[in-house]
Amino acid sequence: MTYFILQILPYISVAVLTIGLLYRLGRWASGRIVHNITLTPAPTTQTGAVVDIAAEAILFKSLFKADKTLWTGSWIMHMSLFAILGGHVMGIGLLGLQFYYIGLTSAETSEYLSNLLGTSMGIVVLLGLLYLLYRRMAINEVKMISAPSDYLHLLMLIAIITAGNLMRFVPEWGIHYEPVRDYVAHLLTFSAVTPEMEVMHKPVFVIHLLLVQVLMMYLPFSKLLHIPGMFAHRWIINRPYVEPAPGMPGVTVGGSGHNVSGGHSASGEVQ
Amino acid sequence: MPLTETGLKQPVKANEKDLLKINMPVIPDDQKVEVALKHLNELGEKFRSLMLTFESCVKCGACAENCHTYLGTRDPYNIPANRADLLRKVYKRYFTPEGKFFPGLIGAKDLELEDLEKMYSYFYQCNECRRCSLVCPFGLDTCEATMAGRQLLHWLGMVPKLHASVGAAMAKTGNHTGLPKAATVDTCEFLEEDIMDEIGVDIKIPVDKPADILYIPSSADFMLNPNTMTGAAKFFHYLGVNWTISSEIVEAGNFGLLFDQRATLRANCMRVIDEALKLGIKKVVWGECGHGWRAGKMYLPGMLDRPGRIPIVHIHDEVAYYIEKGALKLNPDSITRPVTLHDPCNFGRACNMCDTLRKVMNASVSNFVEMTPNRERNFCCGGGSAILFDDPEMYDLRIKFSAKKAEQVRATGVDKDGEGILCAPCSICKAQLYPMVEEHKLGVEVKGLIDLVGLSLYPVKHD
Ligand code: SF4
Ligand code: SF4
Ligand code: SF4
Repeated sequence: MTYFILQILPYISVAVLTIGLLYRLGRWASGRIVHNITLTPAPTTQTGAVVDIAAEAILFKSLFKADKTLWTGSWIMHMSLFAILGGHVMGIGLLGLQFYYIGLTSAETSEYLSNLLGTSMGIVVLLGLLYLLYRRMAINEVKMISAPSDYLHLLMLIAIITAGNLMRFVPEWGIHYEPVRDYVAHLLTFSAVTPEMEVMHKPVFVIHLLLVQVLMMYLPFSKLLHIPGMFAHRWIINRPYVEPAPGMPGVTVGGSGHNVSGGHSASGEVQ
Repeated sequence: MPLTETGLKQPVKANEKDLLKINMPVIPDDQKVEVALKHLNELGEKFRSLMLTFESCVKCGACAENCHTYLGTRDPYNIPANRADLLRKVYKRYFTPEGKFFPGLIGAKDLELEDLEKMYSYFYQCNECRRCSLVCPFGLDTCEATMAGRQLLHWLGMVPKLHASVGAAMAKTGNHTGLPKAATVDTCEFLEEDIMDEIGVDIKIPVDKPADILYIPSSADFMLNPNTMTGAAKFFHYLGVNWTISSEIVEAGNFGLLFDQRATLRANCMRVIDEALKLGIKKVVWGECGHGWRAGKMYLPGMLDRPGRIPIVHIHDEVAYYIEKGALKLNPDSITRPVTLHDPCNFGRACNMCDTLRKVMNASVSNFVEMTPNRERNFCCGGGSAILFDDPEMYDLRIKFSAKKAEQVRATGVDKDGEGILCAPCSICKAQLYPMVEEHKLGVEVKGLIDLVGLSLYPVKHD
């Protein structure tokens, strides 16, 4: 079983994730933007639109304006989750020496900082998730729109994070960066995982990895599609719009009614 | 239909005869489900915005407290996410892998006749105001789900009598009230006399005259809001514009946007540019109508059957432009009553007009008080998408939908002395706000923005 989870499932889960996402994105792409449903006030340039969408993606701007409590919980949850994902790359890829490599600290301090950040973010994200779960059960409106899967998504993330946190807090369940790096290198080079490798003997690590892979496999078939979905939809409603030029023909003041507003088109349009 | 038993509130449906007038056959009940699924698939595949709204909602509930229909009724199905779910559940069940295999888990369900009745009830309780889209972290637009839902219902022959008869009147006469040409000309003459009596200036409202500018008024301005029509006439007259209205299109509204975004929407769009061509028009200027301008500005360019080369602008933008150019001598001191402004959702969230409205307002009156929230964050009046139904049950809902609006108006304090003005530059807003003001007992008079411009341009002399 451990062997299956560590050696075979990763290829399956990555394949399902990739193909699933391509299927979903392909379906979206085959639909059209039939009407102009730009949400106004809209920017007038592409750059402006990109800035708007970035502010939505990074700061959750709309949500901030609409619901501060939910914004706090969800922004903290998403950002710490994002930090943790980045941390995995740094820890496993660079063995936690990233701060050392960029010349900020000594090698030991870098690893220490890396661990400290990982551990604290692990707690923060858990708190964020617990808040979201509490909210889903406590606020009547949210309860009324929830399906069973909405709770399961949260429970799944909580389980993954808990397994990760256990590895941080219980030294004998934890695992160092090097053996994991070796393991990932094996996967990437398609070479066999051998029984004496440390990853094979760390049950909590195996559970953590199993849960992550399950999540990867259902991601393209669940509401987790909101990750690409947000960009796809914002691209429809947060586009630049150029106003038609004002001014009426035959009126002596203010031009002829054509192109009188600084080069803007005579009839409005989406850029 | 056992509707009263299930307690669903529904507007009166168009009957077979009404439907024939808008070229819709009736689908018998035993075929409805099958036909609905076919069309739902087509709609989902065609509209990317719709598919994304179906597939990316995380059910965070941020939209709930931001929809005035939910705030006014506390009916769970009026939570935007739940409203969209009426279609989403079915769409997922039939057209997504997760819904095919795990319907219970993700909340997908088979389509039944009763669901269609429920859709008919709740899609016609949505004002298509898009406040939900504004607050959603992903901008998901329940208005798109409502529009798709109404389109689907239309194709099944489930349309409110109100919308169907307006559609029929539009096709026949070119306006929503069924005004024939003779009546239009008569009314214009009457309005001209009115202006003469009021300010002593000879101002004409030309009908079907070849001209530079085609003005598209709302037909409601000929009966309910004559001051909007005369206000526009005064504005054009003041600038010396060679303008006209066309008896073939005395209608700024376009109900196609609201129940049939195919044939009806397109026919009404074509009517505008056909008339403009016929009269040798150089520029079309649209009148005060929120959804109509949304259709004219955002939908029309994509709906035409031939290239639309004549620019189309809105009268508010023109007025603002000439104010900026210093070409209009307005007399804000002639309107000293406190005025507050209701930003029509279609102007604020769909047509980028908030700044314009303020430019015009500040130049026209001397005591303007903003309401909160305002601009694109404003709440709908409760009449949006023309759910102006008169049957007692639906009327009661309308008044509930406007509870938030009444609260906002009251908070501005303009109604204190019973002297206030509630400016609502949209025909549907006006039609909704007249009864709203009565029912919620507000001391304000509802007026359009162009009404105020007209009054401020040619102040009435009291002596
Ligand atoms: S705010 Fe958006 S994502 Fe959240 S429940 Fe409403 S529609 Fe869904
Ligand atoms: S469009 Fe307006 S009325 Fe309709 S669900 Fe959204 S907020 Fe509510
Ligand atoms: S009726 Fe007025 S407030 Fe309401 S949706 Fe139309 S424009 Fe918005």
